[in-house]
Amino acid sequence: MQGSTRRMGVMTDVHRRFLQLLMTHGVLEEWDVQRLQKHCYKVHDRNATVEKLEDFINNINSVLESLYIEIKKGVTEDDGRPIYALVNLATTSISKMASDFAENELDLFRKALELIIDSETGFASSTNILNLVDQLKGKKMRKKEAEHVLQKFVQNKWLIEKEGEFTLHGRAILEMEQYIRETYPDAVKVCTICHSLLIQGQSCETCGIRMHLPCVAKYFQSNSEPRCPHCNDYWPHEIPEVFDPEKEREAGISKSNKRSSRSRQH
Amino acid sequence: MSLKPKSRGRAGVQAERGGGGEEAPSTSRGPGGAASQGGRRAEAPSAPGPRSQKQLELKVAELVQFLLIKDQRKIPIRRTDILRHVVGDYKDVLPELLRRAAERLEYVFGYRLVELEPRSNTYILVNTLEPVEEDAEMRGDQGTPTTGLLMIVLGLIFMKGNSIKETEVWDFLRRLGVHPTKKHLIFGDPKKLITEDFVRQRYLEYRRIPHTDPVDYELQWGPRTNLETSKMKVLKFVAKVHNQDPKDWPAQYCEALAEEEARARPQTGVAAPTPAPSS
Repeated sequence: MQGSTRRMGVMTDVHRRFLQLLMTHGVLEEWDVQRLQKHCYKVHDRNATVEKLEDFINNINSVLESLYIEIKKGVTEDDGRPIYALVNLATTSISKMASDFAENELDLFRKALELIIDSETGFASSTNILNLVDQLKGKKMRKKEAEHVLQKFVQNKWLIEKEGEFTLHGRAILEMEQYIRETYPDAVKVCTICHSLLIQGQSCETCGIRMHLPCVAKYFQSNSEPRCPHCNDYWPHEIPEVFDPEKEREAGISKSNKRSSRSRQH
Repeated sequence: MSLKPKSRGRAGVQAERGGGGEEAPSTSRGPGGAASQGGRRAEAPSAPGPRSQKQLELKVAELVQFLLIKDQRKIPIRRTDILRHVVGDYKDVLPELLRRAAERLEYVFGYRLVELEPRSNTYILVNTLEPVEEDAEMRGDQGTPTTGLLMIVLGLIFMKGNSIKETEVWDFLRRLGVHPTKKHLIFGDPKKLITEDFVRQRYLEYRRIPHTDPVDYELQWGPRTNLETSKMKVLKFVAKVHNQDPKDWPAQYCEALAEEEARARPQTGVAAPTPAPSS
């Protein structure tokens, strides 16, 4: 991804304020990151040209390298929105969660994670997760409590809930991809196009290869006869649209309207 | 698998960071974080030999994260916690780790690592960047809505001569619709906030006044307040609330001015953490 250019960037108050505020979010969408960047320029360096976001972030990352953290960019699995999170590079575990949750809560997350990874759809039902409550490490947890904990995971953007089923939030994938691939190497699914971890996606019914929805969108863009890249059979699923930030901004007159319609997915 | 203290010649593991590093990822023994497969390795066994740059770097990284997380809750960080949760076997180089962590925190994030009170062995992070009103919209965590209440109490304390009785505080706050016994829409439990939370966060000091019946307490500024703000800033806040000028309170204004002048004079080593040689 990032070249190991040891040429270290320079931090100014613009970058520091950006980092401070970015850290208050577990994960942030690209549009909001751009707003944040502009805000920091406004506070500290009104007249300067706002640097291209990618360069701005690369600059900060070159400084963060020595702290084994980085601002990582990803894409939401359901609709291809670019997202950013400050992730830990050194520890391959669910350590970021460790400071906010008790031992039994972390174990509940691990159980849910395993069910999600093993599932065919990338979703685990609430019922199946709650049935594992007796196997949790640490203090005994009742199902009612576990329901609250699951909601806490949703609020903190580790899980997404859709109609009583849970899958991983983009944030969790960004933070834990490495951990997941190392811990569950046999169960893990991977996208044929981008080779990254795949939780939700579409699969070929003939040969079984999988693709992320945004990867499907890009790969089959303006292709009237989509065929499986591996076995060439017809691709049987609906091809989603490529995420277009401009269209998004025009369509969503007030961002809050968009947010409420997306609240189910995020 | 134990991490052998490595000397030079780390067999080219330098560049490879993401992919399953042979160089042990850190062993942060954070609360509840102990259990995980895969990545964790045990720390160096017996005698701590010379540590490689990379090992130190990793430890500093852990320490920086630990301090950031702890400070987010505004809980002062005790040296003993640092030793227990992060430093462990690296106890002998704690001063060096702290020094490096403090440098990174200030350069990268704009936070100064400061000892709460001299020789208290407790630390907080002080923001070197001035908060700006628009920051609030950019935050992901709604900041602290309780800051308003804190500012009012700090103002009360200062205007009353740096100390105020708890009963007087409630006399005032009741007029604003804030009661010690009633749940408040924004502040929740104001009594708990003022007499417990703010005290624990070291914004306030709360002491019993002897020989009072019924028992009364006095409130003063805590050490964190002195580090994070100033009499002048608080006076300006009070003035703004009354739509007046700070100079309209000459006594307080003089006091605030004197404090500013005192701070402007070169400090005698208050800022940087100066850990004692023997932990």
